[in-house]
Amino acid sequence: MRALPVMAVAMVLVLVLLGAIAGASSPIGLVKVTEGIATVQRGDETLPARLGLSLQEGDVLRTGADGRMGVVLRDDTRLSLGPESEIQIDHFVFAPAKGRLGLVVKMARGVMAFVSGKIAKLSHDAVRVETPVAIVGVRGTHFLVKVETQ
Amino acid sequence: MLTGERWYERCRRSLVGGGVCLMLLASCAAPAPPPSPVPKRSTFLLIPDPEGKVGHITVTNRTGTQVVDQHHQASTVQSADHAPSPPSTLEETEIKRIFGETLAAQPAAPARFILYFKDDSEELTPDSEVLLAEVFRTIRDRGAIDVSVIGHTDTIGTRDYNYQLSLRRARKVADLLVLQGVDRNILDIESHGEDNLLVKTRDQVREPRNRRVEITVW
Repeated sequence: MRALPVMAVAMVLVLVLLGAIAGASSPIGLVKVTEGIATVQRGDETLPARLGLSLQEGDVLRTGADGRMGVVLRDDTRLSLGPESEIQIDHFVFAPAKGRLGLVVKMARGVMAFVSGKIAKLSHDAVRVETPVAIVGVRGTHFLVKVETQ
Repeated sequence: MLTGERWYERCRRSLVGGGVCLMLLASCAAPAPPPSPVPKRSTFLLIPDPEGKVGHITVTNRTGTQVVDQHHQASTVQSADHAPSPPSTLEETEIKRIFGETLAAQPAAPARFILYFKDDSEELTPDSEVLLAEVFRTIRDRGAIDVSVIGHTDTIGTRDYNYQLSLRRARKVADLLVLQGVDRNILDIESHGEDNLLVKTRDQVREPRNRRVEITVW
């Protein structure tokens, strides 16, 4: 009988570890459209945005002068970038069963089209787009943003 | 470019007489103001979503907030110190000019399908056999690069048995799609057994709507 609590602790540890591993690499979406120079920066690494590339929370998406990129997130949110654009998918949580929902996109420059997905439908204040000069709260919507650099 | 301060330092240390130094100092007396922050003027424009509905966005910064809830209306923010402008209409041609390329890069929404199965079997119901053809067409027409195929069961039987049953269901659907010409490498097969019920029931309940494979064509 004394083995039971030890077993329980061990199992919890294993679950926590598995959770950490899953959390570190679980994709939040993927690249669906890419044209010209388009990259995804993940930490120190810069990857070419090839079709089907999985995205992770924290990824920075960039396009060059002739570049464009379209991505779909796991909750059906769709984002596309025009040329000379940069956004970061700063925060993404889509666990409706646990009531955990959130999406924060930080936009540094360029042009973006945004079609909200399930997170915006399920939770009123869970989706936010931030530019250097303002924050946008999103309610079930298709909208466009332009951030000028000059 | 050297800033005023560094000019002053050079000047002070130089062996050239004070006159030159003073002259330079005069020009250094009013150093250029610190570079003003790049404006990053932002425009936020609302358009109808693909189903034709218009939602709303709230544009906020520390100096104010604006709600945009009419299509083709935009709020502009000149800087973090300027309040968002009241919404004003943007002409169609202007929208096309600024956002046309970006809108053209927008991916299609993922397509989702549910296929149902006979009791304790990996055999599709007749309706779902018909639907499978549409799944195939969707994958082909979109040139899909990622298709998720997830098997499920109802709660009759043990959890282990149901994990295996829903795996067989998912594999069956994958095989049928491959048979029609879908590349197996784009199929992502998972089994959720009885852990992810579409219709919540107690254990050991026959529920046809839970005997299913869910397909997402990304």
